[in-house]
Amino acid sequence: MTTLETPPTTTPTPPPPPPAMRRAGNETSRVLLKRLAGCLIGGFVLGLMVNSKEGSPDDFGFVFHQTALKPRMLIFLAIGVVIFAGITFWGYLRQHARRPGVRPLGMGILVIVVSQVVLNWYDPQTVKFNGLRKLVDKSSGLSSTTTWFFDWLSWTLVALSVVVTGAAIVTRRRVFGWVTTVLGIAGAVLAWTAHSDVLDLGGGIDHSLGAYGDVIGFLILAGAGATVALSQAEVADSRGFMTRVMEYRPGLPFAVLGAVLAAFSYARNCWFAPVNRNLDFAKTHDAYQGTDINSLASNYLGWLGWVCFVVVAVLTLAATYLRQRLLGWLAAGAALVATVLTFFSLKSMTDVAAKSVPQFGKSWNNLGAGGFTACISYGLFAAAAAYVIARPKTRAAGKSATLPVSRALEKARNSANMKALIVIALAVALFYPPMLSQYWQNVLVTQMAVYLLLAVGLNVVVGWAGLLDLGYIAFYAVGAYTTAYLTGSLPRKPPSWLHMTPLLTIPFAIVACLIAGVLLGAPTLRLRGDYLAIVTLGFGEIIQIVAQNNPGNFTNGPRGVEPPVPHPKLEIGGWKITWGLDNLPYWYLLLVMLAIVVVLFYRLENSRLGRAWAAIREDEVAAQASGVNTVRAKLLAFAIGASTSALAGTFFASQTGFFDPTQFDIFTSILIVAYVVFGGMGSLPGAMAGAAVLTWLPEFLKSQVPTDDRQMWVGALVLAMMIFRPAGLLPAKRRKAELSHLDEASPGEVSAIPRGGAM
Amino acid sequence: MIPQPLADTHDVVFDVEHITLRFGGVVSLNDVSMQMRRGEILAVIGPNGAGKTSLFNVLTGVYTPQEGRVLLRGRPGDSPVSVIGKKTHVINRLGVARTFQNIRLFPALTAIENVKVAVETRQKAGPLAAMLGMPWQRKEERDSTAAAYALMRDVGLGERGNELASSLAYGEQRRLEIARALGTNPGVLLLDEPAAGTNPQEKRELAELISRINRERNISVLLIEHDMKLVMSVADRIIVLNFGGKIAEGTPEEIQRNPAVVAAYLGTSAEDAARQATDQPELHLIDTQLEPPPTDEERSGD
Repeated sequence: MTTLETPPTTTPTPPPPPPAMRRAGNETSRVLLKRLAGCLIGGFVLGLMVNSKEGSPDDFGFVFHQTALKPRMLIFLAIGVVIFAGITFWGYLRQHARRPGVRPLGMGILVIVVSQVVLNWYDPQTVKFNGLRKLVDKSSGLSSTTTWFFDWLSWTLVALSVVVTGAAIVTRRRVFGWVTTVLGIAGAVLAWTAHSDVLDLGGGIDHSLGAYGDVIGFLILAGAGATVALSQAEVADSRGFMTRVMEYRPGLPFAVLGAVLAAFSYARNCWFAPVNRNLDFAKTHDAYQGTDINSLASNYLGWLGWVCFVVVAVLTLAATYLRQRLLGWLAAGAALVATVLTFFSLKSMTDVAAKSVPQFGKSWNNLGAGGFTACISYGLFAAAAAYVIARPKTRAAGKSATLPVSRALEKARNSANMKALIVIALAVALFYPPMLSQYWQNVLVTQMAVYLLLAVGLNVVVGWAGLLDLGYIAFYAVGAYTTAYLTGSLPRKPPSWLHMTPLLTIPFAIVACLIAGVLLGAPTLRLRGDYLAIVTLGFGEIIQIVAQNNPGNFTNGPRGVEPPVPHPKLEIGGWKITWGLDNLPYWYLLLVMLAIVVVLFYRLENSRLGRAWAAIREDEVAAQASGVNTVRAKLLAFAIGASTSALAGTFFASQTGFFDPTQFDIFTSILIVAYVVFGGMGSLPGAMAGAAVLTWLPEFLKSQVPTDDRQMWVGALVLAMMIFRPAGLLPAKRRKAELSHLDEASPGEVSAIPRGGAM
Repeated sequence: MIPQPLADTHDVVFDVEHITLRFGGVVSLNDVSMQMRRGEILAVIGPNGAGKTSLFNVLTGVYTPQEGRVLLRGRPGDSPVSVIGKKTHVINRLGVARTFQNIRLFPALTAIENVKVAVETRQKAGPLAAMLGMPWQRKEERDSTAAAYALMRDVGLGERGNELASSLAYGEQRRLEIARALGTNPGVLLLDEPAAGTNPQEKRELAELISRINRERNISVLLIEHDMKLVMSVADRIIVLNFGGKIAEGTPEEIQRNPAVVAAYLGTSAEDAARQATDQPELHLIDTQLEPPPTDEERSGD
């Protein structure tokens, strides 16, 4: 037999096609029905999620009745039908959907819809877009464009943009693309002016995000139009485009962004905001004329500020354009000097204000966002300079991104990216919190800060060593109680030579947690996976219940600590720092702790212990056979993870002053695991990002959705994350590889739902 | 089939005496004794379920036998130590490295990191030194990278260091596993079916690699393998297991002519097999393996 075809003699008569086809038809219609039902249910659920506060929170039946049986539910069902159509006709849409500009268009629409539906628009009245529209209708004195914008113009602009861009994508006519660009820019300008108009008329401090989101959305639409107009490619290549932008002059985008931000801050932002007045840079200068402000700040407000901006901007732009390392160093130095000058000017401004007019409050009060925005923009300049320093012209081997890049270039690129990101993250972490309102500063310190540390610590155990620890909160409790004991806040007092200030208790808390970590680790070493999780869960419960039961009158039981744990103090020589009731100083204390922990852990991850952990996580038997002492490595993971929570415990105890055993419950423990998984197991930035996002979101949603619905939105986000990005927000390099590998092997195993199996 | 008494007992790597391993009622190893000499390549063959991998697991401390005694002189000049009851990583430290029947690399680590994990188990710097970036820790880090690269080059993976272990080809993964085993600086290397799933070309390279490791590094090799051609070409001596017991031991030539072995493989009685072997001299064990006979092309390649 020479042919590969099946010999005709062995095949029976071919099966009659009609039954098979009928079956296929049945299959198809069943799939379609399932999909339609799924989409309708999804729309229905979305309708329930986006409801207004109706009925009483206890009467779920009534609430359901109210939200489900309203005509507006039809809108959400229609959304379901649209999604159904989208999935079903994806094959036809696909050829157009891959063209350049489609993704930015979708993104722009999404951002606009979210900001006009979900986000708040006007804080003094706590209203959304629709509410503001009603307010605008009722009030007189607004310009007609503002009235129009809130009345019909905004949605019309969106609709027009969609239609025109769609036409541009289908017909490939450039002019349509440019029309969208103009429409988008007009929309952004209109949204900005309309919102400013409302603020001017209404007054009051506005922290709402709706208008800003809207502006960004319209700008993205403009970008989509420009993309359609400029790119005639058949298939969009956003990654390639980004690479080309970043490779043209590495750092230049950051420099431009910094220049825009700095210009905005010096020209427009509020620098000084005493009682109900918002003074921009020039007006602040006028306000300080004649006061006994020192010459530095006086000159800064007069001319030095602008000079700083111009010098740094010109140096950085030149450095990034010419790619000269020397210029890069100069630019970075200038940015640093400018930041320091800005910082000290701000300090003397508030000092003078606090001294001369006592009702203005203490130092660092009454500052607008301007000074801090300027500092952040100097951070951006420095990041741009970091690119030039890391990759000057001589080493730029790949002139175009189309050439295959060598490994050395890629390495240089990664290291430059990392340096720039660290600089930006540092600038934002230092200078963004002062701009926040009191409420958000409080959230930052009491909600986020501790969890950042805890997530970083748990990441060692769960992410690196692969040991699922559901009782992590226990170590946090041990740390907090150790601090409380040593500061004399528990019924049992320490001997007088052990009585100390909170910051000095850190080493003791760490030792206590190390011991607790080994105590938990030792008996559980033989356990793996689910079994380990259950035992650690038990450990967490034990610690909480022990604290409740107050053995030997040590923990003071459910009454919590008394007297309160004192606030931290630090005295080095004559230099003295005390923390009090203000939130911001705690943030900087935490930042120092976090920075130390992150640097140490980053080194640990790339050391032999870090690799041994990864080996144990991947294959314990093989790790043992390769000579890894798995017992020791696992114990170290528990101990090092636990010691981080000692830091968090000390911080928490001395910041709040009071705590009781209910704060160390299982729910919090599981939340921390959720932060780590959400951010990306095994990734330091991921764990921090996960903790930050998931602690920020519920607080943010407080003002945006009905309070009872908050956890539902958080859950929806986590669910979406696990389906579309199972490796987490910022996946670890190693973990990502693991998952992508599994993905190839069996597509259904990794994501929560099998690929393509949904609906 | 009594093993030859060895002239110099100090040259014994593994001295296994009468070990019996049971799982409940199932006897996995039944009164097995063997001696492995320093510097030899000893192959363990036998049909599926004969207890070969169980023997490996006893020698590396994964299983503890109910009876018997295993003495180990891992590296030349070591005094004998009993491996019974010792942990796997301790035995590894005594100079025993192994590979696995189904490849067990660390898939999400890069190839070089896989080897480094093994190399670094001999290093001293602790977590504190790593966190503080102490100079000696940095030096160790550089040393382990250099050592790992040397090993990778040795097994022919010099260019693939930064690839993920999971993205390597099957044969490369096998060789990476050997490199990882060598990373712990062993005196004896246990290879569990290293040729499984590789193609003829890779098998030839593997045979060459095994002999080279044995020759150049003076590492004794204990080899489980089903591929008779590979076994016959590299092994100095062969031990045959069947149903948990040792049925034969000797040089490749002796084993090929051993009627009990042929019977075990053919499933007939020893007498029948002996008659067959004498009747048909060309019926060698090589042809009785379960794999298809080698093609002409392969034969000419030998």
